[in-house]
Formats: sequence, C-alpha cells, structure tokens
Amino acid sequence: MYDIIIIGGGPAGVAAGIYTARKKLKTLLMTEEFGGQSIVSDDIQNWIGDAHISGFDLAKKLEAHLRSYSEDVDIKIPEKAVEVKRIDNNSLSAGFEVKTDKNNVYQARAVILASGARRRKLNIPGEDRLNGKGVSYCSTCDAPLFKDKTVAVVGGGNAGLEAAIDLFPYATKIYVLEFGEAFKGDPISQEEVKKNPKTEIIFYADAKEVMGDNFVSGLKYVHRKTGEEKILDVNGVFVEIGSVPNSEMVKGLVALDKYGQVIIDSKHSTTSEPGIFAAGDVSDDPYKQNNISVGDAVKAALAAYNYLLKNK
Amino acid sequence: MIKIYTTPSCVYCKMAKEFFKTNGVQYEEYDVAADEKARNEMIEKSRQLGVPVIEINNEVFVGFDKDALVKALGIKK
Repeated sequence: MYDIIIIGGGPAGVAAGIYTARKKLKTLLMTEEFGGQSIVSDDIQNWIGDAHISGFDLAKKLEAHLRSYSEDVDIKIPEKAVEVKRIDNNSLSAGFEVKTDKNNVYQARAVILASGARRRKLNIPGEDRLNGKGVSYCSTCDAPLFKDKTVAVVGGGNAGLEAAIDLFPYATKIYVLEFGEAFKGDPISQEEVKKNPKTEIIFYADAKEVMGDNFVSGLKYVHRKTGEEKILDVNGVFVEIGSVPNSEMVKGLVALDKYGQVIIDSKHSTTSEPGIFAAGDVSDDPYKQNNISVGDAVKAALAAYNYLLKNK
Repeated sequence: MIKIYTTPSCVYCKMAKEFFKTNGVQYEEYDVAADEKARNEMIEKSRQLGVPVIEINNEVFVGFDKDALVKALGIKK
C-alpha cells in the first residue's frame, strides 16, 4: 500500500509528487503522459522563470525533476485511472483503491487528483468520423497540412484566435465562428485576427454538422439570431471550444460542480472527501494556469502529508 | 526503412523522433509543411491529415503510440 497516489503528470501532478517525495511519503504517480495540456504549445511565455519555453521542453523538465526523486516515487506511464473508491466505507484510515485502464488496482491512504482537463468536443454529426480527416484539435500540429485550403475555426476565445493565427501562413481563407456576440480572447489576438484579410468572422454561429465523405468538405451552422442554416465550403475544421475536466474516476465519490470540476477548498486543496485532494485544471479553481496548478498541488501535497500524520 | 512525416511545430513528432533516437532506430524524416510531394504521399498512405505519420515495413501508424511502435519494432523493454 502506498501513502499517496497522484493521478496526473502535468504541472500539478509533478509538483505534488516532488513535495510528497520530499516528505518521504511512499508515492505512486500515474499519468498518460508528462507535461499536461500545454505540451502542444510552441512557446509558453508565462511559465515563471523561463521567458520562453516550449511545451515539449517543459514536459521534459517536469519529468526529469520528478524522476530525480525516483527513490520515493513509483511512476506508471502510460496508465490512466478509471475509478477511485474507498476500500472500506466505514473506515477513513483504510484508504483508497485506484483502478486503471491496464486493469491494475493500486491502494493508498490518500489520493491527489491532478488529472487535468481535455479538449471539449462539439459533439455534432461528422466530428468523430472525420477526426484527423480535416477535423483537428491541434492547430500548432496540423496547420501546415492546410496549405492553400479553406478552413473554419470554431471558437472565439484565446485558443480559437491562436488557431486562426497559426493558420494564417498556410490557409487561403479562415472562417472564425463564435457562438456569442463577440470574441472572448485577448484584445491583442483579436486585433491580429480581425486585421488579416484572410479572416471572415461569423458571430452567433452554432455549429451543427461536419460534412464530407473521406475528408471534410463543409461545415453546417445555424445563425442563432436569424435562424438561417448555412454551409461553409471548408476542408478543415479546427475545434477550440474549451475543455472538460478529467474527473470521471471520482464521480459519485467527491463533490463536483455543474461543469464536472472537483470542488476544492482553496486553502488546503481539500475536496468533499477526507483523504482526497485536488489541484490544477480538474479543480474548480477559476484560473487555469500552469503556475496556479503547481501552487495548488503543493498545497494538496502538504495538506495530504498532515492528513496522513493525523490519520495513522 | 522507417519513415516519419512531420511538421516543425508538432510535439508528438518530436516525441516520436526522440523515441527512435533513444532506441537506436534509424529513420528518414519528411517535413510535410515544406515538402508538398511528401504531404500528398502522407495523405494518400494514411487517408488522413494529422501528423505524425510513421511507416514501418509498409505498416502505417497515425500519431505517436509508443506501445504500438514498441511492438512493431520488436523493442525489448
């Protein structure tokens, strides 16, 4: 039995692991990959201490830092937690059981959830079928494949605007569809998107269907004000509509908010369930930032340490 | 010969290349952002538009699936 199981290998998970290892707690960390969601970022400019760092390099640094404590931390990668439950509902100190996608079951006296979030999908017809065939969730990766093509970006937040900016050097025309009446991204990015002659902005757009046989050939949407249905002739659809927390494994065990985020007490990163702590994008902390995830995870690790001392 | 189709900014391409290097696997890289011929070849082979695409003995892998590559290359853990 472990003292702590940490679920996740992004900035939160790694920070928690380093701190529990330094407290000499017997730790298991499981993750599908290191680095978290910003791994696909080409250039992170707000990671404190590095003016510029790629998501790839950040992931490598995080992994190396954690592995320097390998004496106290068992690392399971790639492995994903599918269910967390109490070993004995009548005994807090009995601890928890974590079942994984590799059909392993691990036990620990406390759990830190640092499982982050994943990309939100449109959940419309054609999206899954044409995923990778014109539907993309990674503009940094795939933009060059849309050279001389017409594309649509769905989402007018920062990620959507950045996707449009990634596409400017390659695509000939870029529709940017926003569900609301205005963009939500940073003013600097808004300016850059608006002033590019390749851009056509569509507000009040509700995407309805990705069309195409072997590859994407169109995107159907409804204008929410006029009710008019239109089809855009596009070869690519970039989906940038936010994220969903990876909290399925604790559903029914800890309290979640209406978005599925784990509700935490910001002082100690505790959840509704004694012995379970949470930090980073899986939590309901309003600011989804690498630096915040690290800080909240350190709180979780220290609070878990105190919890274990008290509940021997 | 092992081929990998990449774009310069694709992180999973970097991971795949690093995986090859760590395991001493020789590969040929094609940058589909710059090389139109390679781009068309990649799309034809994989019937899709995502990178990386990796070709091992005429078997085509889309994305960086470490476990699948380990198996295809017969790498002992």
